[in-house]
Amino acid sequence: MAPISIRLDRVSKRFDHTVKGEVYAVREVSLSVETGELLTLLGPSGCGKSTTLRMIAGFEEPDEGTISIDGRDVTHVLPNRRGIGFVFQNYALFPHLSIFENVAYGLRVQGRPEAEIVRAVAEVLQLVGLARYERQQPHQLSGGEQQRVALARAVVFRPKVLLFDEPLSNLDAKLRVEMREQIRSLQKRIGITTVYVTHDQEEAMAISDRIAVMERGVVVQDGTAKDLYYRPATEFVARFIGRTNLLEARMLPSGEAAFEGLRLPLPAGRPAGATVRLVVRPEMIDMIAPGPDRGAVGRVVQRTFLGEKTDYEIELGTARLQVSRNDAFARATFEVGDEVVLRIDSANVHVLE
Amino acid sequence: MAAGIASDRRRILRDPALFGAVAVLWLLLALFVLYPLAELLVRAFSDDGKLTLEPLLSAVADGSNRAAFLNSLILATTVGILGTLLGFLFALTAVRAGLGRRWLTALDAATLLPLVSPPFTTSIAIVFSFGPKGFISHYLLGLDNISAYGFWSTALAETITYFPIAYLTLRPIIAAIDPNLEEMAFSLGGSRWRIFRTVTLPLAVPGFANAFLLLFAASLADFATPLILAGNSFAVLPTQAYLQITGMFDFKGGAVLSLMLLVPAAAVYLLQRYWVGRRVYVTVSGKVGQRSRSRAIAPLASALLVAGTALVTVAILYFYALLLYASVVVAFGANNSLTWQHYHVIFTEGLPAIRDTLIIALVGMPLGGFYGVLVGYLIARRRFPGRQAMEIVSMINYALPGTIVGIAYLIAFNDPPLALTGGALIIVACYIFRYSPTGIRATVALLQQIDRSIEEASASLGAGSGQTFRRVTLPLIAPAFFAGLGVVFIRSMTAISATIFLVSLSWTLITVRILENMTELALGPAAAFSVFVIVVVFAVVSALSALLARLRTPTAGAAARSLLGG
Repeated sequence: MAPISIRLDRVSKRFDHTVKGEVYAVREVSLSVETGELLTLLGPSGCGKSTTLRMIAGFEEPDEGTISIDGRDVTHVLPNRRGIGFVFQNYALFPHLSIFENVAYGLRVQGRPEAEIVRAVAEVLQLVGLARYERQQPHQLSGGEQQRVALARAVVFRPKVLLFDEPLSNLDAKLRVEMREQIRSLQKRIGITTVYVTHDQEEAMAISDRIAVMERGVVVQDGTAKDLYYRPATEFVARFIGRTNLLEARMLPSGEAAFEGLRLPLPAGRPAGATVRLVVRPEMIDMIAPGPDRGAVGRVVQRTFLGEKTDYEIELGTARLQVSRNDAFARATFEVGDEVVLRIDSANVHVLE
Repeated sequence: MAAGIASDRRRILRDPALFGAVAVLWLLLALFVLYPLAELLVRAFSDDGKLTLEPLLSAVADGSNRAAFLNSLILATTVGILGTLLGFLFALTAVRAGLGRRWLTALDAATLLPLVSPPFTTSIAIVFSFGPKGFISHYLLGLDNISAYGFWSTALAETITYFPIAYLTLRPIIAAIDPNLEEMAFSLGGSRWRIFRTVTLPLAVPGFANAFLLLFAASLADFATPLILAGNSFAVLPTQAYLQITGMFDFKGGAVLSLMLLVPAAAVYLLQRYWVGRRVYVTVSGKVGQRSRSRAIAPLASALLVAGTALVTVAILYFYALLLYASVVVAFGANNSLTWQHYHVIFTEGLPAIRDTLIIALVGMPLGGFYGVLVGYLIARRRFPGRQAMEIVSMINYALPGTIVGIAYLIAFNDPPLALTGGALIIVACYIFRYSPTGIRATVALLQQIDRSIEEASASLGAGSGQTFRRVTLPLIAPAFFAGLGVVFIRSMTAISATIFLVSLSWTLITVRILENMTELALGPAAAFSVFVIVVVFAVVSALSALLARLRTPTAGAAARSLLGG
C-alpha cells in the first residue's frame, strides 16, 4: 500500500448562519489520500465538499481537527506554505498577465532563474496542448483553454498535492468529458496526489480511484465507484449515485423478501415479518412478455427512448419501478399499456442495513 | 462568531504583512481621525476639567445660534430641492431627449465645471453679475438697489455648484429605466404624461431621495459660499463657527457651534448611506446612450427639456466666461481695459500660495491614493479583528462637514505634544483622511467585481499576502488608485472649509488667498486665481481620464466615474 499523503483527522468547520445560528459546514471529517491517488469528494451543493477542499488548501481554517500533508501538520499553515496546486471552478487566471506569465507565476514567486522558468512553462504548456499560446491574454481563450492554462499553472511548480474545485462545471457537456480525460491522464502521468471536488456523479466515477460521498458536512461513504454503485451504504448514496429503485420489502418465513408479488431469496439471518430496504438498479430488472414463466406482473406506464437504451416506468401494485433496457438485444420491446413480467436475480439486490 | 474571531486573530498574527499594515493604519486613524474628534468633544463638553453640557446648552439658548442653525437647515433644504430638480432636468435631457453625442459631451463638460472649481467661483460670478455695478443688475437691467447678498443668492450659488451631484446620481437611474417599460405602457394606450407620472417618476423616487440628501449634506457643510454671499442678515452655522474662532479666538464656542452642525449632518449621512442608498438598485453598466431611442417623451416636451437645460448650461458658461473676463480686465465694471496684471499679481505676490498648494497637493496625492487603495483592499478582502470598525472610522472625516474637521484639527494639534498646526504636514494629513475615502470606496467597488479566487490562486502558487497584493491585487485595482489620486489632488486644489483653520504664515493655500482677495475686494486677482485652479484641475482630470482609458483592465470605466462622483 502506498504511503498516506493527505490525512484529515476529525476536521470540523462551523460558520454563522443569520437565521439558524452556528451551523456545521463540515463535521468531524476523517479522510486519507494515498500518494498518487485521486480521491473525489462528491455530493450535492452545500454538503461541505468545497469547504473540505478549501481547508486542505488552507483558504479556510478548521475549527477542530488536524490536517497533515506528507506527515507534516499543516492545520494552521498559510496556503502559500503548503505546496499545493489549486484549480478553481472559474479558472481564476490573472486577467492582467499573459498566458506565459500566468503559468510562470508560481516559479517567479519562488525566484527561479529565468531560463528555467522559460523551459518549464514551455514544457507544461506542451503537456496541456497549448504550446503556442504563451503571448495570448486570458480573455482571448475559450473556457476549455483557460481551464487548461489553470491546470498548467497549478502543476508547473511541482506541488505535492493537486486540488480541483469543480473545475469542469463551467464547460459544456462534450468538453467536460474531453477535459476530465485529459485531467486524469495528466494526473496519472505525473503521479500526483489529487483531491477532486464535483457534484457530478458520472464525472466522479469516470475520474476517481476512490470517491468520498458527502452529505450535510459528513462523509457518508468512502470507496471505489463500484463499491458505491453496487453496495451503497445509505439511501442517500443509493439515490445520489446513478438511478435506483428502493424497495421496502417484508421478510417471509421462507427467508424470501416479498415486494408486490416479487419473491427475492436473501441470505439467512433476518426474522420473518421484518422490513428490509432493497436497492435494485434499473438495468438489473429483467422484463419479459407475460407467458408461462412465473414472476410479478406489472404494466408499462411510461416509455422513454434514449437511443442506446430505453427507460420504462412500470406500475407494480401500488409501486412504480424504473427499468432500463438495451432494446437492440432485448427479445421484445414494449409499449405503454402492455403487461409485463418482472424478474430480479437476488444476486443483484443490495440490502441497506 | 467566537470561533471566527479566534481564527481571524490567529491568522493575523501569522501574517506579518497584514499585521503591520493594520497596525500602522490604526495608528494613523487614531491620530488623525479619532484623536481630533475626541479633543473636539472634550473641549466642547468640559469646563475646568469637569464634564458638562453647559456650553452646548448656552449655545442653543443663544438666539443668534438658533437662527444660524435654522438658517442652515432652510438653506440646505432649498438647495436640496432646487438642485435635485435641476439635476433631474439635466439627467432626463441627457438620457431621453435624443441629443447627439457632441451635445451630450457639452452637457457633461458644463456640469463638470462646477465640480472641479474652487468653492468661490459661483459666488464671485454672482457678485460680478448682481453686485454693485453688476453686469446683469446694473448694465443689463439698470437696477442699482438690489443686493447680491442674502439667502437667495446663496441658495442660487450653492444650487449651481452642487446640482451636478444630483445629475450624476440621477442619470444612471433614469438610464436604467428600460424604455421598453415605458413603450409597453404607451402601447397599452396611456398618454405620455400619464406614463411619465405613473411609470418613470415612481421608478426614480429612490434616486430623488438620494440626490436630495447628498445635496442637503453638501449645502449644510458649505462654508465658502455663505461666507461670501450670505452677508450678516443670513448667518449659517459653518460661518458662525469660523467667525467665532478667527474673530474671537473662542475655540470652545467654535467647537460647540460645529457640534450643532454635527447633528443634522450625521442624521443625513446615516439616512443616505443605510436607508436610501441601499434602495437605489442600479448597476452602472456604462451602456448609457446605446439603447434604442425612447418615444415616451413627446417632441414638445423634449424640446422644452432641451431648452431648459440649454438655458441653465448657458447660465453656467456665462458665469465662467465672466470669471475669465474679470481676470483679464483692470477693474470689472469700472475699467474694462484688457490687462495681464492680475495674473502677474498671482504669479508674483501670490506665488507662495500657488507653490504651497501645489506642494501640498502633489505630496498628498500619492499618499492619499495609496492609503485609499490599502484601506479599501483590507476592508474588502482581508479578515482581521476590527475590520468593520476600520471601515467606519476611515469614513468619519469624509462624512463630517469640513468645518468640524478643521476645528477638531486646530484644537487637537495646536498644543504639545502634537503641535503640528502651522506646518504643511497637518494640511496634507487633513486632505488625505478627508478625501481618500473616495479612493477607498472605488477600491472596494472594484474588488467586489474581482473574484476572490484570483487572490487565492496566487496564495496557492506560493505567494505571501504582501506579494499577492503587489503582483496581483495592485495591478487590478490600479484604476481605483488613480481615481483616488485624482480626487485628493482636485480637493487639495479646491477645498477650504477644513483647511482654512490650518493655514499659517508659512503655509497658505490658493483658496484662502481667494477668500482674502474677496474680502479686500481685490476681485481681479481672485478671478485670476480661480481661473488658474480650474485650468490646472481640468488638465489633471483630463490626463487621469486618458490614463484610465488606456488601462486595459475591465474595471477602469467605473473608476473614471468615481473621479467626478467624489
